[in-house]
Amino acid sequence: MPRVAGVDIPNDKPVWIALRYIHGIGPKTAKDICNQLGIEDKVRAKDLTEDQLSQIAGILQNDFVIEGQLRRQTQQNIARLRDISCYRGLRHRRGLPVRGQRTKTNARTRKGPRKTVAGKKSVKEMR
Amino acid sequence: MARSTKKGPYVDERLYGKVMKAKDSGDRHPIKTWARTCTIVPEFIGHTFSVHNGKMFHNVMVSEDMVGHKLGEFSPTRMFRGHIDKKKR
Repeated sequence: MPRVAGVDIPNDKPVWIALRYIHGIGPKTAKDICNQLGIEDKVRAKDLTEDQLSQIAGILQNDFVIEGQLRRQTQQNIARLRDISCYRGLRHRRGLPVRGQRTKTNARTRKGPRKTVAGKKSVKEMR
Repeated sequence: MARSTKKGPYVDERLYGKVMKAKDSGDRHPIKTWARTCTIVPEFIGHTFSVHNGKMFHNVMVSEDMVGHKLGEFSPTRMFRGHIDKKKR
């Protein structure tokens, strides 16, 4: 199995899909990289030559922020918002949606699994 | 949607004038303001603002990190004290 960008080991999927397993590489950038190096869609990640692998690694290193570095960057941005205690920072602290979504219902991604409160009227009853 | 860059940041002119005045005279008193939509520009760093939230004024000490945000972001308009415990009533 080929290794790209340190720990990432994309499997025997087509290259332009396998590259998306790297944190920070999505459909667009994966396609762009393949086009740049002239790797066809049907080529699988295991069939990549050493040369191509090093070329991919080179592009990733020079043009993109990926993996640990990207995660750190995101964390720092959130930490900044928390520190200056602006509205977005407060929402991050409380674990609630940051961009003005409703919280009466839904918002489960941010709030986590439902905590049932005994005696509370259900959404159906409220209507 | 984000504001057009052509226009530049929105800065309340009266507030900006007040900050400049305070800078000249070395006044460090908080500046009372209702201009929550005013963007924080680098000139504001180090000054304290009393930003209205509809009920009271929150003192906001502007630091370098806050540049680009709006004054209103630092003066919350809602207070959530938690839900009422039904058993206790």
